[in-house]
Order: sequence, then C-alpha cells, then structure tokens
Amino acid sequence: MKTYHALSIAAAALFIGAGVQAYDGTNCKAAGDCWEPKPGYPAKLAGSKYDPKHDPAELNKNQQAVQSMEERNAKRLANARATGTFKFDVN
Amino acid sequence: MKAFQKGHPSQKGRLSGNANAASPRLATVACALRLMLAGGMLAGLSQTALANDELIRLAQDHKQWAQQGKDYDHSHYSGLTQINRKNVKDLKAAWTFSTGVLHGHEGGPLVVGGIMYVHTPFPNITYAIDLNDPNKILWEHKPKQDASVRAVACCDVVNRGLAYGDGKIFKTQLDGRVVALDAKTGKVIWEMENSDPSVGSTLTQAPLVVEDLVIIGSSGAELGVRGYVTAYRMKDGEQVWRAYATGPDSDLLLADNFNATNPHYGQKGLGTSTWEGDAWKIGGGTNWGWYAYDPSLKQLFYGSGNPAPWNETMRPGDNKWTMSIWSRDVKTGKAKFAFQKTPHDEWDYAGVNWIGLSEQVVDGKKQKLLTHPDRNGIVYTLNRESGNLVRADKIDPTVNVFKGYDMKKGVPIRDPEYSTRMDHQAKGICPSAMGYHNQGHDSYDKKRELMMFGTNMICMDWEPFMLPYRAGQFFVGATLNMYATPGNNGNMGQVKAYDVKTSKFKWTKDEKFAVWGGTTTTAGDLVFYGTLDGFIKARDADTGDLLWQFKLPSGVIGHPVTYEHRGKQYVAIYYGVGGWPGVGLVFDLTDPTAGLGAVGAFKELQKYTKMGGGMMVFSL
Repeated sequence: MKTYHALSIAAAALFIGAGVQAYDGTNCKAAGDCWEPKPGYPAKLAGSKYDPKHDPAELNKNQQAVQSMEERNAKRLANARATGTFKFDVN
Repeated sequence: MKAFQKGHPSQKGRLSGNANAASPRLATVACALRLMLAGGMLAGLSQTALANDELIRLAQDHKQWAQQGKDYDHSHYSGLTQINRKNVKDLKAAWTFSTGVLHGHEGGPLVVGGIMYVHTPFPNITYAIDLNDPNKILWEHKPKQDASVRAVACCDVVNRGLAYGDGKIFKTQLDGRVVALDAKTGKVIWEMENSDPSVGSTLTQAPLVVEDLVIIGSSGAELGVRGYVTAYRMKDGEQVWRAYATGPDSDLLLADNFNATNPHYGQKGLGTSTWEGDAWKIGGGTNWGWYAYDPSLKQLFYGSGNPAPWNETMRPGDNKWTMSIWSRDVKTGKAKFAFQKTPHDEWDYAGVNWIGLSEQVVDGKKQKLLTHPDRNGIVYTLNRESGNLVRADKIDPTVNVFKGYDMKKGVPIRDPEYSTRMDHQAKGICPSAMGYHNQGHDSYDKKRELMMFGTNMICMDWEPFMLPYRAGQFFVGATLNMYATPGNNGNMGQVKAYDVKTSKFKWTKDEKFAVWGGTTTTAGDLVFYGTLDGFIKARDADTGDLLWQFKLPSGVIGHPVTYEHRGKQYVAIYYGVGGWPGVGLVFDLTDPTAGLGAVGAFKELQKYTKMGGGMMVFSL
C-alpha cells in the first residue's frame, strides 16, 4: 500500500508537470467497469485515511425496513381478501 | 399519436369501445366481456388489456389529460388548436383554485371525464373538481401524516402528481404510503407502505399506471437510501415485483439477456463489484423522476438517481446501477437493458429526468427512440428497442465536466480539472448539482419533431467532507456554492428546441431563473411553461418568440396542462414556488451554502415571488 501510495503521488506530480490526464473514465478494466483512483488517492478505502468505517448494523437497516413493510402489506392484502374490506391497521 | 395508432390495432379491436365499429358480433362479444369483467369473473390478462386500452384511448382524446405525461410517450403534446399563436395574446383567466397549502407545487392536475383532480405538497391533499361547476369541491382526501416526515425530505415537501386508471386515482404520500382512491367518491380502496421515513425513505414521485399495475419509485439518496422501483396490482395493492438500483443481480432483477445487444455497457455482477464492500447497501439510486412506456414493446423506461454519499472518495467504483437509463419488462420487472450515464458520480447528477419517446428517421433509418436531457448536461437519445446509444449531445456548450463522449464505449470523457475529491475544493464546475436540467417534465412537439426543453444554467464549487452513515440521518458529505453560469448575463435558465436528427438547437431563449417545471407543446404551435419568478408564458414553437405571459400569484415548479370542456380549450397551471430552488425562500435560509448550495444561487428569487399554492385556469 505504502509503495503504491508513494508511486501514485510521484505519478500525480508527473501528470501535473506534463499535463497528462488523470482519471478520465475511458480506461476500462472490464465492460462497464471503468473507474480508476485519482492520482494520490487509494484504490481501496479499507485501512486508508478515507475509510468510511461503516457500521454493518446501520447498513442493514434499509433492507430490514423494506422487509417489515412488505410483511405488513402482505397481511393487509390477506385480510382484505379474506374479509372483502380493506383495513390499513392489521395486526 | 401515430405510434399508438399504428402499434395497437389488435388491442383496440380486442376490448376497447371501438369494437362497435367492427362487426355486430364482435361488439356483442366485447359487451359480454365487459359485463364479465365488471362482475369480477375475469382477472389477470384480460383486465390488463382493458386498463391499457383505456389509458391509450384517453391519451388520444385531446380533451382529456389523464396522466402526468399526457400519453405513454410522455410527449406533453396536445392536439388542441383552439388556442394558437394567432390568438394566444387574448388568453385570460377563466377560474382559479387555492389548494390551502403552501410550499412547492410540482406536477400538474389531471382531467378525466369532466373531472379535474388536483394534488398538493405535504400533507398531500387530493381534490376532485367537477368542471361543470368548478366553484364546488366534489370530494377531498386529506391524509393524516406524521409531521416528522418533513425533516427527512431533502428538497422541500413536494409531490409530482396523481395517476388515473380503472376508475381509481393513485397517489403517493411523503410518508411513503401509496393510496388508491375511488375516482368518483374519493374513498380509500387500498393503502400500502412503500417507503419508511425512519430510514430516510420518502415518496415525492407521481405513480404511473401500466397494464394492470401501478409503478412507484423512491426518494432519499441524500439519506443513503438504496433505490428501488415497485409494481403494485392496481386492483388490490398486491406487490408484483420490486427491483433495486444496486446490489446482487437477483435484486436488480436482470433478464437473462440483460444488455446482450450492448455488452460493453456491462452485464452481470456489477451491482456489487463496482462498489467496495457493502457500500452498495446505502448506495442511493432512488428514482423520483418520470417514466415512459411503450405498449408495443411492453417496456418501461426510467432513470435511477445519484449514488450516496455525495462524497465520491467514500465510494470508489463505477457505482452501478445508479445514474442509469433502465428498460424493464413491465409484467416481470426484468431489465432488458441499462445504460449508465454518469459512472462514479462526483457531482450529484441524479439521473431521474424526463424521458420522451419518439419515432424518427435518424441516421437514415426510422427508429423507436427515447430522449433524455440529464442533470449531467448531456441529452441522451437511445434506440429504445436495442438500447443502442444514438446521440449524446451537450445541452449547452458551457458543460465542462465532460470533454466529450466516447460513443463506442458509451462513456463520457471526463475532464479531471472539474472532478471532485477529498481535500480539494473544485471550482467552476458546469453543470452544478442542480444540473443543466432537473425534474421538469418537458415535451416533444410531434408536428415539428422537436424536443422543447426548460433548462438550468447554474455552475458550482464543491468540497467533500467525511461523515458517518446513520439510518434516518442526512448522508451528503459535501459543501456547495452555486451561481449562474459565467458569461450568461446572470441568466440561470433557458428554453430551447432540440432536434435529435441534427443534434442542433433550433432556437434558444434565456430566462432569468432556471426553467424548473418543464414545458407543454400544442398543435396550436405554442410552447407553454411556468417560471420561478411567477409567470406562465407561451412561445412560438417555430421561433421561440414570446407571444403571451401572465403574472401568477407565486412561482411555478410544475407543468401546464391543456384540455377541452364543453367545446372550450383551457390551459391550467399550478402556482406555488418551492422545490430545491425555493428552499431558501421556503425555509428562511440565508447561508449561501445552505439548502445543499441552492440558497446562494437563488438569493434573488425572494425579490420576485413568495410562497403560494393553487391553480389558475386560462381560456380565450
């Protein structure tokens, strides 16, 4: 990582000096995958000074909320089908 | 209109009212079928055809305005000619209606069968007005919503409108609920939860009725909401399919032959591999803009929004499939193609804008097209059958984030000078995060084969900062300054006529403020639109010359609609400034970087307009 970092800083300096382009989105490592780190920035964030250090429990809250809503809606639908009357608050 | 007539003779003959024109025997069969349907004896496929036929028929009847897009092409083009360029100067107020709500009034009213359906911002009231007696409210639906939901709306408490289908009015609420109302009585038929505000997820988008389904989007990428689009059964609210913008292929709902025609766009596995770790779980890509639908292909078209957070350094990778134009099979939701416009967004160019369908001879052959003016300053035109990239033109020559377009690879050529990154304040980026085009619903002049755009001319400075993700809290991570595009006499907007065939603009006219609400074009050779400083204007569709304007009570962020009632043509438009450009005025903010940077850019707006909420209707 360190070596890489030093190299990319050196490369960045060269680029600025020579006016060579940095990340311009046209060098693709696979179809639909053309991202490159900018000169001086890490390719992987984990362990770098830009590591977002996301809390896995927080990251899962979106999906949990959607699952709960889907379950409640399914109950509403089942109740409406069984009774012929729609009711929002179904336990 | 031609496309529909040409493409759907079979549907017409099958179940529509026009069956009478065929043979008496067919008419009897159709009649019997209808009775069976009314009695609930047939479900599924047959009902599907009926729902589509009804909306196609309503779209062809220019007396009506039965969906936000006017028709499935989302052309916003009306065949009415009573009001035209010769007499538009005589246009006068016919009647008015106050919604009783302040804040931004987006979208437009619907007109179906002599009734006008009006919607409002939070708390999302719906009014039905009998056009025979517009002084009286036929019914109203006023939802009780928890006021706390206002705190997680990024950009004012707006809503883009209602949808009609099968005798029902469909609406979204800011608190994430989807509601079906009886169009005659306003009675709730069903009500489901689509989005949970406790994790920052809200609804501002208008529903779209297709086949026997109601399509619902999502909002909240500024709070790290992972975007999804959902189809509910129109009849009872059953969830039929749900497709996400990021994550595993099974969640993305990709067809087996996804992007087979254009494999260089990328295919399988990219919803996770273009992210580091689990960042896709809070990756944004919500879709809160407009749709379009092709009933002959049975494909739904829409754009997914920006990745989260705005701080690009915190999410390395192309961040697929945010910022993409999607084509999905409406029955299954399976994606036939997706084209990512802005890989690894660094500027919040949420790719949710209007998509207008057309059939034109381009590059020597007649093609079914979709055209899409994006936030990123590029107008895209794709062949909507294959997904092939046909055009990628700059909305204005001042776009500097991209040097050009690599048409073969289908990627923009970025100018690193205007990139954003940590520990760096980028300056003079054009367009700004508000885009050179935003949520405005534009129009396609079918007579002239011209796209009529309402655009923005706003640039910005941008500096990101690190921040943690906490569900339900804002997750932006950038400080912005926005201002009028330099060298444009301080003007922040334009109206312009674009020709896909030549990639050229036939005419361009400046506006003081961003033209936020979109345009509507008529066979009377007119382009109507509202302005943030409170005017409704009509321009000559050939020259762009201003032919008529009227000062409304407040600024406009919605679109004009036109309809005919008892032999008279009317033009209706909401007033009520707000939305993102109005946040300074609406919430009394003065720090120029507040309101995600919009406050500084629109500081002059309050010298021209104040909040309002209502509709004005014009006739000769």
